[in-house]
Amino acid sequence: MNLIQRIAAGLAIAAVSTGLLASPEDDLKAFQGFFHKRFPDVSNAELGNGVYAIDPVGRANWEAIEEFPPYEPMIDQGHEMWDKPFANGKHYKDCLPDGPALGKEFPHWDKKSGRVVTLPLALNECREVNGEKPLPYNKGKLASLLAYLAFESRGQLIDVKIPKDDPRALEAYEKGKHFYFARRGQLNFSCATCHMQSTGMRIRSEILSPALGQATHWPVYRSKWGELGTLHRRFGGCNKNVRAKAFPAQSEEYRDLEYFLTYMSNGLPLNGPAARK
Amino acid sequence: MRGVMLTITLMLVGCATTALAGQPEYQKALADAKAAQKKAASVDGEWRDVGKLIKQAEAAAAKKEYDTALKLADEAKAQGELGYAQAMSQKNAGFPSYVK
Repeated sequence: MNLIQRIAAGLAIAAVSTGLLASPEDDLKAFQGFFHKRFPDVSNAELGNGVYAIDPVGRANWEAIEEFPPYEPMIDQGHEMWDKPFANGKHYKDCLPDGPALGKEFPHWDKKSGRVVTLPLALNECREVNGEKPLPYNKGKLASLLAYLAFESRGQLIDVKIPKDDPRALEAYEKGKHFYFARRGQLNFSCATCHMQSTGMRIRSEILSPALGQATHWPVYRSKWGELGTLHRRFGGCNKNVRAKAFPAQSEEYRDLEYFLTYMSNGLPLNGPAARK
Repeated sequence: MRGVMLTITLMLVGCATTALAGQPEYQKALADAKAAQKKAASVDGEWRDVGKLIKQAEAAAAKKEYDTALKLADEAKAQGELGYAQAMSQKNAGFPSYVK
């Protein structure tokens, strides 16, 4: 974390604790309230379907795709990975005993390591503890494993917590929030420029999806990719689209961003994996 | 004969001077571009193409195309400086007024 971020986060924590700045609970109310006003006829659960909640033509196309989900073979592959023991005879379940339906437990603040832990990070750390090589984060086998875990987690409600007994958790949340609203790249866009301010409008031929619900359905089979990809792959793609340098998947920047963005979707049902254009 | 040799020597020196013209300017521009890139990255403000522009500048310089290399390095420097300025301008970014 650079000096500016440290100072900004420190000031933010002081401001929240003295009531000068909105708390995460206030933010959640404002964030979700914005979309309820913008799309008054669309429920929270529907917003988990992304742009297909607000684009009837795209939705018809998407529903046809979902009749034969392109991610189905990856769920099966992920299931096999979950059940297959490591070389030492242990399983993922030895690290993550509540699995495979782990969706609602991530991301979470880990007080011991002082960082946001995401599900892909926990899976790879489980592999390393058991003598296995970590898997690439953006796509491939790890995405398939995530697809199985997401499928098993369908229907769970997002319930990300910002523990009050560790100010570093609020700091991580504030950093993620700052990332979301800061303009970046040569095009000078923030995440919010497209997915809040301009949501429902067109960018070229595409309708911009609402931010609320964007954390519910990962990993995603994107037709553009022709394969399954993870949330952090999408973060990187968005950053490149606005001509900013992308951060690595599972970097502190993207884990904090995921922490904020998922917290903003608290109360929405998990519905991954999903298909998107 | 001596006159011919002198002419040829002068021509060769002239060509070499032309080929190397711009090299010092390029080298300074490249150093400036790398410094600007580093400064922008220090505040998470680096733009996508700065690294690519620097690599393209270095490739052009390797072919002794210093005019091209200089232009690319200058563009990288400008983008590095703008990325830093942008990040500084956004240090207090938060919920925009249209949300609340």
